[in-house]
This record gives sequence, C-alpha cells and structure tokens, in this order.
Amino acid sequence: MTEIQTLHILNKSPEHPRFARCLSIAGPADTILLIENGVLGLSTASASASGKVLALEPDMAARGIVSQSGTVETVDYDAMVALTARAQQVISW
Amino acid sequence: MPERNNEGFLEDAWAWTPEVAEVIAAEDAIELSENHWEIIEFLREFYKQHEVSPPSNRLFVKAVKEAFGEEKGNSIYLMQLFPGTPAKTACRIAGLPRPTNCL
Amino acid sequence: MSTLIVIDQPPYGSWAGREALDMAFSLAAFDQPVSLLFCGAGVNWLRKGQEPGTIRQKSVEKNLAAAPIFGVEALLADGDDCKRYGLEAEQLLDGVTLVQADSQLFTNYSHTAFAG
Repeated sequence: MTEIQTLHILNKSPEHPRFARCLSIAGPADTILLIENGVLGLSTASASASGKVLALEPDMAARGIVSQSGTVETVDYDAMVALTARAQQVISW
Repeated sequence: MPERNNEGFLEDAWAWTPEVAEVIAAEDAIELSENHWEIIEFLREFYKQHEVSPPSNRLFVKAVKEAFGEEKGNSIYLMQLFPGTPAKTACRIAGLPRPTNCL
Repeated sequence: MSTLIVIDQPPYGSWAGREALDMAFSLAAFDQPVSLLFCGAGVNWLRKGQEPGTIRQKSVEKNLAAAPIFGVEALLADGDDCKRYGLEAEQLLDGVTLVQADSQLFTNYSHTAFAG
C-alpha cells in the first residue's frame, strides 16, 4: 500500500467556508475523503479538486446520493480506517 | 451554609468561606491541616484567575506540580490529603465547581 | 505525533471552541503534544479585557490562560486575521505566537483538527 502525503477528511457542506479552503489547500499528491455533509459536494458541479477525491459510501447512501460511475471512488468504514493509517498527516476539516 | 448541588459542590463559588471548607471537609472525615489549606488556597486562586476548575484529576495534579513542584504535584501526596478522587474532593472543599471530566 | 487544534469561530456565540479547548486540555493531560491555532474570527478568543459576566458566561480569555499550566505547547494566531480584527500585538493575550495559517504550518503536525 502506498503512503498518502496528506489525507483531508472533509465533513462540511459545499456552502461552508472550510469546504473551499480545503479544496484550495489540497495539493495533487493529497487525498480528500468526503464524509457526512461533505458528500453533498458530489451533487454540486463546483467541487473540483487537484487531489484524489474519495467519498464515504454510508454517508452518500444516507443522503440518497448516487455516484455517477467513474466520477468518484467510494469507500466503506474499514477502508476509511485504512486510509488514516496510510496517511503521513491527517487534517480533519 | 450556602446552597450546594446533589454532589455537595457549592452552586456559587463566591459564596465560599474557610468555615464552609471546614464543614464540607468534616463530611469526608478530613481534618484540615496546613498542607490542605495550601492546596485549597491554590485552587481558590486558580479559579479566580481561570474561572474553571482543573477539568480532570490529571490536570489537577499537573497544575499543583506547576505551582509547587514534584514533591506536592503527585497523585499520592494529593490522594493522602484528599481521598477518593483528589480533584473532586479538593474542589468540593475549596468551593469550586465539579471538575467536568471526573467520573 | 503532534496535534494542532484549530479554532476558526468566535467565542461566546457557540460551544464549538470550548469543546476544542477541552479536547486540547485532555490531550495535554495525557502528555500528548498539542497546540492551539486561532484563525479567522477565532482570533477574537485572544483579545485582552473580555468581561462576559453580564452574558452569564465564563471568560474564555481566563480559561485560555490555563493552557500553558496544563501543558498545551503553543498558542498560535494567524497574523493577517489578527490585523483584520484590529488586534495589535499588545491587545493579545500573553504568550501568543503570530504565524501564517497555511498548509506549510499544518505539515508540522501529524493531525490537524478544526473545531466544530
């Protein structure tokens, strides 16, 4: 398993100032994991990031958000834990 | 005696007097010595400056250590003075609110 | 393993910051290295002369002054945000270090957590 430089755990909706701040800070080598209200970013067109974007599937399912195939990789809770273990650094937004 | 909550802590920290401390200590069968008063006065001053009780026993010990050094800032010393959970017992006698993170 | 807790919301209007302070104190209680960063409207935590008695709240200024006693390593504040809220160095609580709150700063910590 490759290491992740920085894992950004983003739980804010797109209207929250920290959502934009997170996207602007995340670099191409970073991974952004959308959880809780953060998954709402998937339903807005504006959310584009330079790093890799993942989303927590149970939080998507809870909100009835279906990923369009290929646009975003989804993870479950076990995979989320594995991600935090692989990350050099974690930022919880 | 000023008003107290169901765990014996004063409702108003500013209603405290040394006589109140004697009464509360007696309930725990503690006879207040100079060593007790040193910690009680320290807690009164701490509360005046920070408007908060040390939130947990560990932080109580830390704060005492910061003020008086290793010799008094250790849990055995404080446990001997204030049996049970020292932060709770000492705060109760000193008239401070219940430490938030003590069980 | 060092943690940075970020407070970017102003004091008194919500509990978020106080919970963050509690988290910082708890980490310090177990000797885990922790620092606090105030940015955005959060810099208003650091203004000297707060008297919240009339709104029946405890002074975060006084609560915060206990941080070094409990072992919190540093109180940091974003310099630009302090300027934005008219906070000159002499109006800030003692012991605050001005920094630039950017991704460079976050790399010094294995975990950065925003409050609330």
